Amino acid sequence: MKKKRESSVFVKPGMSAKEIVKAVHSLKGVCLTSTGMRDAGQSDFKNRHRIYDLKTLAPYYNKMGLFSAECHGGARWHVGVMNRRECPFEEIRILRELMPDVLLQTLVRETNLWGYRPYPKNVIEYAVSRVDIDVWRCFSFLNDVRNMRAVAEVVMRRGRLFEPSISFTVADWATNDYYLSVVRDLVDLCGGTDEIILCIKDMAGIGSAKRISSLVDAIKQIYPDMVIQYHRHITDGLAMPAVLAAVQAGVKIVDVEEDSMVRFYGELPILSVQAYFEESGIPVHINRTEAEAAVQKAREWIGYYEWAESPFKGYDHTVIRHKMPGGAFPSSFEQAQKGEFLHLMPLILKMMSLYNRVVKYFDVTPGSQITWVTCSGIINRYVKEKGETGARHIIMLLTKFVEEKAQDFEAMEKDEEQEELLQLFRNAPGDFKNLLLGNYGKLPAGWPPDWVYRSAFGDEWQAKIKSRKELSPLDMLENDDLVRLRNDLSEAIGREPTEEEFILYLMHPKDALGMIEFREKYGVAPLVLPTDIWRNGLKKPGDRVDFELWGKPYTIELISLGAEHEGLIHAVMKVNNKARVYTIETPRARKAETIMARGPNDIGAPINGNIWRIGNPERGIIKAGDIVHKGEEIANMEAMKMENAVIAPFNAQIKEVCVNLNDTVQEGQILFVLERL
Amino acid sequence: MNREIQKILIANRGVPAVRVAHTCRDRRIPTTAVYSTPDRLAHHVFMSDTAVHIGEAPPAESYLNIDKIIDAAHKSKSNAIHPGWGFLAENHEFAQAVIDAGLIWIGPSPDVIRLMGDKIRAKMIASRANVPTIPGISDVTDAEQIREWMKDENVVFPIMIKAAAGGGGKGMVKAENNEQLASGLMQARSEAKKSFGDEAILVEKYIERGRHIEVQIIADAHGNVIHLYERECTLQRRNQKIIEEALSPTLDHDLRQEICFIATRLMREIGYTSAGTVEFIFDLPTRKFYFLEVNTRLQVEHGITELISGVDIVGLMIDVSMGKRLPFKQADIHPNRWALEVRLNAEDPRNFSPSFGTITRLEMPHGPGVRIASGVYEGANIPPYYDSLFMLLMATGADRADAIRVMDRALSRNLRVEGVKTLAPLLLSIIRHPAFIAGEVSTRFIEEHMDELISLFRVATSEDEVLKVAKYVAEISALGPQSWM
Repeated sequence: MKKKRESSVFVKPGMSAKEIVKAVHSLKGVCLTSTGMRDAGQSDFKNRHRIYDLKTLAPYYNKMGLFSAECHGGARWHVGVMNRRECPFEEIRILRELMPDVLLQTLVRETNLWGYRPYPKNVIEYAVSRVDIDVWRCFSFLNDVRNMRAVAEVVMRRGRLFEPSISFTVADWATNDYYLSVVRDLVDLCGGTDEIILCIKDMAGIGSAKRISSLVDAIKQIYPDMVIQYHRHITDGLAMPAVLAAVQAGVKIVDVEEDSMVRFYGELPILSVQAYFEESGIPVHINRTEAEAAVQKAREWIGYYEWAESPFKGYDHTVIRHKMPGGAFPSSFEQAQKGEFLHLMPLILKMMSLYNRVVKYFDVTPGSQITWVTCSGIINRYVKEKGETGARHIIMLLTKFVEEKAQDFEAMEKDEEQEELLQLFRNAPGDFKNLLLGNYGKLPAGWPPDWVYRSAFGDEWQAKIKSRKELSPLDMLENDDLVRLRNDLSEAIGREPTEEEFILYLMHPKDALGMIEFREKYGVAPLVLPTDIWRNGLKKPGDRVDFELWGKPYTIELISLGAEHEGLIHAVMKVNNKARVYTIETPRARKAETIMARGPNDIGAPINGNIWRIGNPERGIIKAGDIVHKGEEIANMEAMKMENAVIAPFNAQIKEVCVNLNDTVQEGQILFVLERL
Repeated sequence: MNREIQKILIANRGVPAVRVAHTCRDRRIPTTAVYSTPDRLAHHVFMSDTAVHIGEAPPAESYLNIDKIIDAAHKSKSNAIHPGWGFLAENHEFAQAVIDAGLIWIGPSPDVIRLMGDKIRAKMIASRANVPTIPGISDVTDAEQIREWMKDENVVFPIMIKAAAGGGGKGMVKAENNEQLASGLMQARSEAKKSFGDEAILVEKYIERGRHIEVQIIADAHGNVIHLYERECTLQRRNQKIIEEALSPTLDHDLRQEICFIATRLMREIGYTSAGTVEFIFDLPTRKFYFLEVNTRLQVEHGITELISGVDIVGLMIDVSMGKRLPFKQADIHPNRWALEVRLNAEDPRNFSPSFGTITRLEMPHGPGVRIASGVYEGANIPPYYDSLFMLLMATGADRADAIRVMDRALSRNLRVEGVKTLAPLLLSIIRHPAFIAGEVSTRFIEEHMDELISLFRVATSEDEVLKVAKYVAEISALGPQSWM
């Protein structure tokens, strides 16, 4: 056991990047990044861990002496907006308050930031300069260092710590020399090694003890002062010895999570790491008491997320072949379950193992999505057309091509085999094609062979190869018009957006709108409700939920739920002892929808009120087919004894009169459809 | 004619009906309410001792139907009628019919109502009584007439087109330019006909950014005419007052004495009895005031005058109608505090679009210095047929700043109205606006500052927010986990 220390905190927000790097460097032994607030949830629980629960760990983190808490980025941003209805900015504020002494860490995907497509430079700069994060771990699924430039510049200019990562895999082409060339580019980009931490990102969890120590050793020989962090998933079941070997070779920071959250595809358990490393003679900088308390705390709520775990459970050593990253396990298997092809997963994983030897890049976002959609698509297509036997046949054919024929296309039988390979990517997704065309950047081991292009693009393949881009998307993409985008958002939500809403919108326009709409309707429900209530509601009359909202106590109690009648359920609730009735529409509710005016040719009601005149006193009633002039009164409405004229906005023919005399209409409800003359 | 009132029929609904019922209850005078079909369960019906159904929703069939109301008085054994404000309050034929039916009319004489109801004659009378009046033209029937008058009298736009029989903002249309002239005239005539059954129109020069100041008068049948000081009602939207205060922050002592004196003199000259108001428009740059009109009735904003003077104006109207003398002299009236009133209309505070429906929740603010006059209760319905005013909120303090603080508290703490939109957010942002606090507003303040006022709408409170959370809990409790989760 470690001796009790005054304070375990050795790095803090506000320290310069240089000071942080130095503090880690001069530390005896290793320190830890906890992924409990981000990647643990992403790898085994589909990113559904709510800030409501995660924040309970913060007080322990604040005293634990972590290097950092990865609590932000990756898919957590998007899933937060889309599924948890949490705003990543809100999360940062909550955590800053509860753990002010902890470096907050994000994970960004170079030009894709927290999304799935390359963003133009001005969007990257805009977003990165407005997110209050201390440590910026940045990776490229192509190890295309050029793509990191915009993020690196803004982060380093802000005095925050930039942590460039090399995506790591095990493949014949992924040699130490290859990685060293990437590291060299990174060091050049960042102007040396004393203001950065280098991360080796082993997202599939496949680095063996031997392989990883060889790589770390090679880097340390060239850059002896480089501080290296090893981010390794545990999927292959061999993580513990591999991470120890990396540390023995010179790694200073390793990623861990609460033992109680560890399943199969995330990071190592913090308490086990501490014990195993210490026994192996490597001091671990961690306050064990606080760490144990955090592990215990997580046990209190982790059970609420069982539903989000992968339907496929258990380590999977074959990951060394199919290379599915930890973060993709729950979501891919869930998709397979929803799509009713879970039984095809062994075939799909097999397809991935072969595919990644043909088209070479790193299986991590967005590459892992491209791999998944392409490979699951191929298998599903085969099964649909030719049954499972057909799917097995294509795998045999590919195995022959890759393993026996060493990918020599001409060595395959001319008619049948070659023809079949040339059909392989015919229905591949657009993103796969974009990848081949260089829209994401350069592939790490060169462009795929011509037959892949022939397969993907058919007759156009040569033209497509010609149009293939060698530049980074950073240099190709036109800047977005931020003023116009802000106006678009403003129009969509009917008010000025906040800066944070705008950044959410820049990343994921459609889902950001969904989230804003949700929050306007349901307020801070995602932040204040305990997880079982959030997911299941109150179950029986008398059940209640107590919470604090903006510094005051509230209680919501279920009094009764009525039976469904014509698609409606009436719920009687007590809110702080006062009864309220809520009418809830079930999916069977009939929508008696009022049609609202939309385009410029639709004339809507200016107010809520009564149509007491259609037409005007001079010409009398107006009917469909009549010609009206700009400025002419075409109807008059009355509400509370005040009159409001409805005026023709341009010369037009009345196409339709949508209301009857004396109808009571809503503001904005369509009254006329005009046709401009 | 000294007659004892046995029972009062209140020929009104909503806030005014409830207001009158309150004083009647204080005096232990039984009351009868009248109601139209949609008002069957309205607040005023249950504030009275008995109630009579007088017809269908359209005002002409119920609250404006003289015969039915007088029948109702007989039927309910009422021997007096108080008209409240609005509806028939300034209808001299109604007043006359009440008297002719052998009932006591609680209000000024039909002759005075008729005289002052004709805006053109009222202006002439005022002018003859040496009360300054705005340049204008009467008996307008077409736009050309207006153009000629403007040319002759050197008047420039904007101008105000008014129903001669009007009041309460109805039948009043402002024309900014030549193009708006004809349509404005048409609208004013149509509204005039609908609201007052009389399409006579007058047109006046529009005093830009004027201040609207009025003097409350109470008079008995024995020649005592006393003013209860003035009110300022400058804050209006579409010519309808939404915030009033007593006294006026615009006037200094001398002007106050002058305007009150002139108002009293005019009312004495026309032989006024009961409660009434002389309205003026005050032009700040020239420090001149002009006569606008006499309101021959109890006014919406009378409550703030009651608050600063300590008198019960409705009670005095009842006394005067029974031939009693006013129990005080002018020298006894000493306003000793400041009072503010805001009108809670059921309207969208962003665009004044009417918002009718059921009030699903109503929580009224209490605490020191607050007076509320409500025409509704929780669960009541606001029908689309009548005025959007459903509650008056009044605040008093030792001085103006104090009264504003009290009003701020009343509006921002514990006032909850759900089910309909109200002007509350707008009212709050007005009373917090530096120009209002400094007393520097005009009749156009709201239209000129609308965007700014909207931007000052307060952010949601935890009370609002928890209801959203509760809605979520209700939905998930009923529907179970959702696919988007």
